[in-house]
Amino acid sequence: MAILLTPPARLSLALPGFENIKRSWNSTYETVAARLLPGEYFVTMHDEAVYTTLGSCISACIRDRVTGIGGMNHFMLPISASSDSWKAAGNSASARYGNFAMEHLINNILKNGGKRQNLEAKIFGGGRIIANMTDVGMRNIAFARDYLETEGLKISSEDVGDTFPRLVVYFPATGKVKVKRLRSLHNNVIAEQETMYLNTIEEKPVSGDIELF
Amino acid sequence: MKTDIIELVRGVGDLVTLPDVFIRINQMVEDPNSTIDDISKAVSQDPAFTVRLLRVANSPFYGFSSAIDTVSKAVSIIGTSQIRNLALSTAVATSFSGLSNKLVSMDNFWRHSLYCGLAARKLAKMAGKCDAEAVFTAGLLHDIGELVIFNRLPELAKETLLLVLDGADELPVFRAEQQTMGFDHAQVGGELARQWKLPPMLEECIAYHHDILAAKRYPREAALVHIANILALMAEVQTLDPGDVAPIESAAWEITGLLEAEVIATVVGETRADIAEAEMLFFGKAFSR
Repeated sequence: MAILLTPPARLSLALPGFENIKRSWNSTYETVAARLLPGEYFVTMHDEAVYTTLGSCISACIRDRVTGIGGMNHFMLPISASSDSWKAAGNSASARYGNFAMEHLINNILKNGGKRQNLEAKIFGGGRIIANMTDVGMRNIAFARDYLETEGLKISSEDVGDTFPRLVVYFPATGKVKVKRLRSLHNNVIAEQETMYLNTIEEKPVSGDIELF
Repeated sequence: MKTDIIELVRGVGDLVTLPDVFIRINQMVEDPNSTIDDISKAVSQDPAFTVRLLRVANSPFYGFSSAIDTVSKAVSIIGTSQIRNLALSTAVATSFSGLSNKLVSMDNFWRHSLYCGLAARKLAKMAGKCDAEAVFTAGLLHDIGELVIFNRLPELAKETLLLVLDGADELPVFRAEQQTMGFDHAQVGGELARQWKLPPMLEECIAYHHDILAAKRYPREAALVHIANILALMAEVQTLDPGDVAPIESAAWEITGLLEAEVIATVVGETRADIAEAEMLFFGKAFSR
């Protein structure tokens, strides 16, 4: 049978657990691209892209630089009363949420054959996109940096903070990232998406058990 | 589609109030019998505008060497058609405050508009053969159709912005609008300018800043505003790499005779340096950041 070379035929099977992530053909990058929403993460071993838009949320992009297995998450720490000092509190509910997002991504890469010593990390986002508000983006950046340092993972590149939202397109196979800073026209819509996501995580705190590899 | 736009713009009639002083000067500038004296009198009837006019006239924005301390001096030095633009430019925030909306903060909206106005003015001076101060006003007003859409069609406008954010390519907003609504903010703004009887140059720049080849009477000015709009985006996201923002139509460089390599870094840099002072001058406050 002839092999179909039309784009949809190249949509390879997603790894187990990522079947619900929306993926489609992207003609600019000529690859399949997975679209992440706040709270989601995605790992792939194929030559495909994963992208998201970030306001004050943060995305870690992590890959095994030898095998090219890697992915992206998209999260923020909930703003609860106890979360102001996530670092001091150590195991506060909000830090637990960040740990959850980071460990899911890293563990899934390792589960699919990545090696811890080969991991390379990049972080993006954490912008202060609504004027005169508490800088929640800065807390997310501080958390991500602190987490990666504790795990012994060096950050090989980052574009974080400042006042704009970002579109991040990541290619785990090569480690290439395209970051596009978005104009302020998009701030309110992105902030609204993030607030909706924040409401869902504040209602459903994650449990403390995370399987460690 | 055209009738949709006309109806949409008619619906905002009561929400936008052009300053009386602008309307009076507008009529006088068109009337060959009116004198500098008549126009000075019309200006003086609006004390708030008189203060703004003298403040702008004496600011580094114009850089006149001698002090301009009377309205008639301001009118004769700055010129009557310029005074008309200033009456509009220094009152845009109040004129459009009725078009508030939840999709974009007014500070963010006007910051982009002001970046565009400042960039357009600089480009106009470099390109020559046009009225740089009028092009400033055109840049300042280029996106007013957006305010109409956000205020009158908030659901569709939100759908449009979500469509832009859903793709990995950052589809230009005006293209997304064409997909979701069948028309775009440039067309709506152009119609607004027409119904208000704004000078035809402003109308063409607003209507065609995304479609410069359609500008028949003022292609040079429309091309300048088109370039300025993209440079404003670059100033906003702090980049000098044209690959980081929407593309500039190559025709815009041909029409204006400007060279991409010579203008981008200069204009983006100077515009960023000037923005804070221009906010105070034209909006009377610093925008929130």
